[in-house]
Amino acid sequence: MRSEIIMAWRNMWRNPRRSGLTMAAIAFACLLLVFMLSFQFGGYETMINASVKVNSGHLQVQAKGYQDNHEMRLVVDDPRQVAGLLSQINGINSFSFRAESFSLASSGRRTYGVAVIGIEPEKEKAMSTISDVVRQGVYLAGKDRGFALIGSLLAKNLKIGVGDEVTLLGQGRDGSVAATVSVVKGIFRTGIDELDRNTVQIPLADFQEVYAMDQAVHQVICLADRLSEVKDIAGTLRQSMAESGEEGLVVLDWTQLLPGLVQSIQMDLVSGLIMYLVLVLVVAFSILNTFLMAVFERTREFGLLMALGSTPGRLVRLLLLESMGLTVLGTVFGTLLGVLITLYFQSHGIEFPGAEEMLNQYGLSGRLYPSLSLLSCFAGPLLVLLVTFVSALYPALKVRKLKPVEAMG
Amino acid sequence: MRNGNILFVVIVAGILFSSVDTHALDGYDIVQRTFHQLRGKASVSSLDMTIHRPAWQRTVSMKAWTRGEKESLIRITAPARDEGNATLKRGREMWIYNPKVNRIIKLPPSMMSQAWMGSDFSNNDLAKTDSVLHDYEHTLEEVTEQDGHKVFTVASVPKPEAPVVWGMIKLRIRDDDVLLAEEFYDEDMELVKAMTCSDIGQVDGQLFPFSWKMAKAGAVDEYTLIEYQEISFKETLPSSIFSKALLRK
Repeated sequence: MRSEIIMAWRNMWRNPRRSGLTMAAIAFACLLLVFMLSFQFGGYETMINASVKVNSGHLQVQAKGYQDNHEMRLVVDDPRQVAGLLSQINGINSFSFRAESFSLASSGRRTYGVAVIGIEPEKEKAMSTISDVVRQGVYLAGKDRGFALIGSLLAKNLKIGVGDEVTLLGQGRDGSVAATVSVVKGIFRTGIDELDRNTVQIPLADFQEVYAMDQAVHQVICLADRLSEVKDIAGTLRQSMAESGEEGLVVLDWTQLLPGLVQSIQMDLVSGLIMYLVLVLVVAFSILNTFLMAVFERTREFGLLMALGSTPGRLVRLLLLESMGLTVLGTVFGTLLGVLITLYFQSHGIEFPGAEEMLNQYGLSGRLYPSLSLLSCFAGPLLVLLVTFVSALYPALKVRKLKPVEAMG
Repeated sequence: MRNGNILFVVIVAGILFSSVDTHALDGYDIVQRTFHQLRGKASVSSLDMTIHRPAWQRTVSMKAWTRGEKESLIRITAPARDEGNATLKRGREMWIYNPKVNRIIKLPPSMMSQAWMGSDFSNNDLAKTDSVLHDYEHTLEEVTEQDGHKVFTVASVPKPEAPVVWGMIKLRIRDDDVLLAEEFYDEDMELVKAMTCSDIGQVDGQLFPFSWKMAKAGAVDEYTLIEYQEISFKETLPSSIFSKALLRK
């Protein structure tokens, strides 16, 4: 075996240019896979964090069934108790209470159906990007009463501006008529039409009074420090809620709150995977080609080795060792380079001149950051390793069919 | 026995409609007479509406004025928290008044299929009672027998281009023009909700169901019940009642 390894190593460097090119192709594929996968995952993380910051949060505590139809009566009766549990869990960045009702918003002659959301302005500032996208007027302050924030499209539809009155008419938690007049303090534009068209935010205290909520809320929304910890936090929270006898409440994470986002990520991932498979196939064929060429070129040499007493099995081992040497060297080199490049951009970010405006709307800077993980680091190179090994099998096995005399002739 | 039943039906029919051939009965005529009797030329009534859900129940009392097919005013009288809230309907348009903020809000068209005051009746049910008559083609589907009355089942499908949300409405009407039931079907002909009328009594020389119950299909123990405490039919009512100015009072 030892002698075969030495022979394989020498054979690899007998044609340094060909071997170098093959390794470079493999290395390049690995580098690309590591970087692209990391970039894709990083992009998802950015997307998810942006989406949860617009509205839903990473986690929510709601009454059972509320997520399905947002029925007024399904409330978190004692949000302070939930808050107490939340403050004992590590990894939670911030949390806030919200209440929501479908209502009419009217400016006198024009009326639209809207979602009226009661918020805690001070806490919400840290959680939601809406405070960053107030385009006219200002965000609500902590002790504000009787003020409202409205979406830009709604403001346009209602033909009102900052300082104008908006009448809200809906139904209270007890079924009574809920009505209030609020003064528009700020107009926000998230860039998401649905939100800009039908959202009115008022202070939670106003909401609780107008909609007969007492101390109850509809959602306790939480932001985690890290996206990867969300599942664990949700589990811990469920457990501590069960222990403290909080019944009728459920913990929902962002995948349950934003099923549409999960779907679009899956779609994107699938199309990305198809692209990577094509890339790997191209690499595989180029390697197959190289090895086949090598075998044809060296037919005489193999014939001679066989005439000197080498068994076909030994030749196959030799050839496989050669190809494995090339792929392993290529993969290791490519992966290392990929990791280095990814790490560089992970700390510096990649600027997208075109996407800046779009990202700003979500309250993000114009830079995207790849995110290196075990999966994105090893999935691609391992696949390349596997595919190249398989494609090297064919030429190696072909050698067994050689007849020494014909080969040397 | 079966033959005997049929014979009985024929005899009863012969007595009741001695001058009318049953086959010539027109769905439209039946529906038109029924809705005319239901609404009268004008009416003043007081009623209680109970919204019932498995976990809770809530009753609102109100007073209602109607004139013809198109105009109505409903004002809440109890509970105290909601007193003075009023809904004015003229044709397809609806306005809502809230005394607390002293504002009148015109209901946008997109809101017409929403629940009215959280009940199982939609704004459309209120605003478009005459739409059943005019926006649909009525076909007499079946004649059955119940408590000594003949009961007509009329299937009403929307006319092409009619601005309605239902795929079909089925009406069950007694031979004395009393509405017994109204079933609402979606475009796939699935039952969405159904209203049944009962407590039929005599008012000002005409028949009127004092109790109306609307229930969503498939929902157990969920319904909205309207019970009329009092109703009187008039020749007419002053136009001023159905004005936005009076909505505030």
